Amino acid sequence: MLSRLAESFFWLGRYVERAEATARLLAEHHQLLVEDHSVPEALAARLLLEALSLPTEGATTARTMVKRVVGTDADQSTIAGSVSAARANARAVRDSLSQDTFEALNSAHISLSRGIAFTSSPGVALHRVLERLLVVNGVVDWTMPRDQAFHFMVLGRELERIDLVGRLLDIRHDEWWPASGPAAVLRSAGALSPFLRTGKPMNSAEVRRFLVLDPAFPRSMRSCAADAENAVRGLQAMGASDSSQLLREVGMLRSELEYALITSPQDVDTHVENTRASAIRAHEEVRKAFFRQHGTIVWSH
Amino acid sequence: MSVTPFDEMLLPDASPRETHADLHRVLSGMGSDDLSERAKQRDAYLDRHGITFTLGERERPLPMDLVPRLITPTEWKQIEAGVIQRLRALEAFLSDVYGDGRILADGLIPIKLVTSSTHFHRQAWGIQTPNNVRIHVSGIDLIRDEFGRFRVLEDNLRNPSGVSYVIENRRTLAHVLPEIFTDYRVRSVSEYPERLLEALRAAAPNGIIDPTVVVLTPGVHNSAHYEHAFLARNMGVELVEGRDLYCRDSRVWMRTTSGPEPVHVIYRRIDDDFLDPVHLRPDSILGVPGLVNAARAGYVTIANAIGNGVADDKAIYPYVPAFIKYYLEEEPILPNVDTFDLEDGDQRAWVLDRIETMVIKPSDASGGYGLMMGPSASDEQMAATREAVLADPRGWIAQPVVTFSTCPTVVDGGRIAPRHVDLRPFAVNDGSNVFVLPGGLSRVALPEGSLVVNSSQGGGSKDTWVIDDGTLDQAPEETPSPEPHERRLSRAVAANFSKRYNAPTSHDDRIVQQERQQQQGPTC
Repeated sequence: MLSRLAESFFWLGRYVERAEATARLLAEHHQLLVEDHSVPEALAARLLLEALSLPTEGATTARTMVKRVVGTDADQSTIAGSVSAARANARAVRDSLSQDTFEALNSAHISLSRGIAFTSSPGVALHRVLERLLVVNGVVDWTMPRDQAFHFMVLGRELERIDLVGRLLDIRHDEWWPASGPAAVLRSAGALSPFLRTGKPMNSAEVRRFLVLDPAFPRSMRSCAADAENAVRGLQAMGASDSSQLLREVGMLRSELEYALITSPQDVDTHVENTRASAIRAHEEVRKAFFRQHGTIVWSH
Repeated sequence: MSVTPFDEMLLPDASPRETHADLHRVLSGMGSDDLSERAKQRDAYLDRHGITFTLGERERPLPMDLVPRLITPTEWKQIEAGVIQRLRALEAFLSDVYGDGRILADGLIPIKLVTSSTHFHRQAWGIQTPNNVRIHVSGIDLIRDEFGRFRVLEDNLRNPSGVSYVIENRRTLAHVLPEIFTDYRVRSVSEYPERLLEALRAAAPNGIIDPTVVVLTPGVHNSAHYEHAFLARNMGVELVEGRDLYCRDSRVWMRTTSGPEPVHVIYRRIDDDFLDPVHLRPDSILGVPGLVNAARAGYVTIANAIGNGVADDKAIYPYVPAFIKYYLEEEPILPNVDTFDLEDGDQRAWVLDRIETMVIKPSDASGGYGLMMGPSASDEQMAATREAVLADPRGWIAQPVVTFSTCPTVVDGGRIAPRHVDLRPFAVNDGSNVFVLPGGLSRVALPEGSLVVNSSQGGGSKDTWVIDDGTLDQAPEETPSPEPHERRLSRAVAANFSKRYNAPTSHDDRIVQQERQQQQGPTC
């Protein structure tokens, strides 16, 4: 397939995931702030913004925090920005996407660009955006052929997911809000019920371990690594260019998490760091192996 | 009614109580349009989440009011202590009547009154509960009289329901009306499922270290099925129906894809009568044959225990203050509501003379079914009740109409008006401690002037806030706060990964150039 299209699919996967996970995280974080006043509002706002690498200056209230995370089309670290970027990439490959996928993405974009009433109850407005994004993922899942395009999209999504789980764990809800924090972390990742069914006590260490190492939960770092590896293998089987470095990177990552030996909560934190670093290297390898090589274009003006 | 009810928010001069001032200010600042809009968002939220109860054939959301009900720390301390005291006495009573029968021998309560209770089950006599708990979960209904005093209206020791709405109401209100939380520290209600699971595990049969706990539901057609599923999901345990279980050799097993698995603790949400067709109702298809024998053999714990209904029988209710003195040698913290014994000829005659001022209730029912509210009853209803009482005096009790407190409530068109509320605090007993969930279910009678709050009779609910001023005992924290340097450390780690990976669109001049050229389209 065309490198240009491959790149768009990869970014489509990344941005849809970023928008969805950020919206979920914002909604949960805001709800936590409202219900549990253990942490002053200004500090709570800063914790979230810092974790999302957004500017913190002047953000002292829940309202400014919401505004900043919802953001604008221009900043791809925000919800509006990632939806807009996902849509831009979807447009570039519109012919190979099902009509439903584009429609859902477009309507999320439209509701965000109209500036929904985020002021008083952001949860209500965020829900509409989340719903659209879930439709995107659902339609992709059951209409898209398992071709190279699909594998690029999955690869993008899994690498982004690793990054986002890392950012979520960075906030340390479990330490700042000892009573309701662990549940808030799980909810932010849609992991509350799956976690409860494991029968583990809901404490900081178990929650972090679950989100990093659980073999069955699809958003754990371990599952993301396994899915990324499968996507790369899929690309190789379909004759994509030499990607042995990339396969090595994601394969090492997956096996490191699969056979992780955990003797203390710090071991989990070490895995979080290594995994995030490895996901960044994998991203570089994807770029090198498949995408347009900007430096190599020879013709000039 | 001549007496003015106590209002939870407003003083008689219509100014807000000091504790309610901030809430009053925020609500007054919202127009009725805004409130109506929020009400729509709330309905959408409840519908979407399927937070419902089933009435008749229809599944409907439990109407949740947008105005929370506040409980001050002082009030809460009294409620908590009163509920714990009452439960200790009721536990003692149950283990007494299903054991030695000391209280009966001492003549404190007529033996006939106990044995004639519909919910007294001889089948449960002599069953030992592993940690001496029979009332694992209770919901004691309280009201406030015209002086603002909390009184116990009835005890619910069998299958009290509504706790899921307590938890969902909090989330719903924080979702649609976050601004009213700004000025208050409200005690959390989210820990309930965890506490319940701890208590159920603590009730496991002797020798079982890692018990399997299940929630037993009658099935999806039950009015409280939502709650059964909610509790199972939030405890991370299996939700089972009777047909999923069977007994062999006095042990209980569940049928799974990997063969039979043992079950040790059954949090059952089906009535005693249906539990075991061998010992109780023979036509029950909801229950598990052999369950009572398994409990008697000590291989399984049924929570709440069989036969608890004898202690929440309304004809036994008047004796509970005496139980408190008898078993605990304490004065009751929460008083009862005056209740007339209709088996006593003089009292019966006196009550029937002024039936229009009385509330007459069946002594063995709950949910507001069969209740006659004197001031609003029709002549036919009164006549029918009179006849029923004369036919079966043991089956009924009478109470003077208590004007219980009102709380501002959003009524039609976004208007705020006072409506009557009660309070059902939920308590969980793990054998060493009784945990009372801060707040509880405030049920509100939505029709103007109505005193019937049961959800089966058109009642709604309110999010109930126990205000935390720092003087209330907090649950012990398991995780100590991290040292400041650890927090800094986690920040420093984060910095390594703060860079966002973004597609090279806007930063790349060539792409911008390409975009412009594409926009120009074909030129001739």
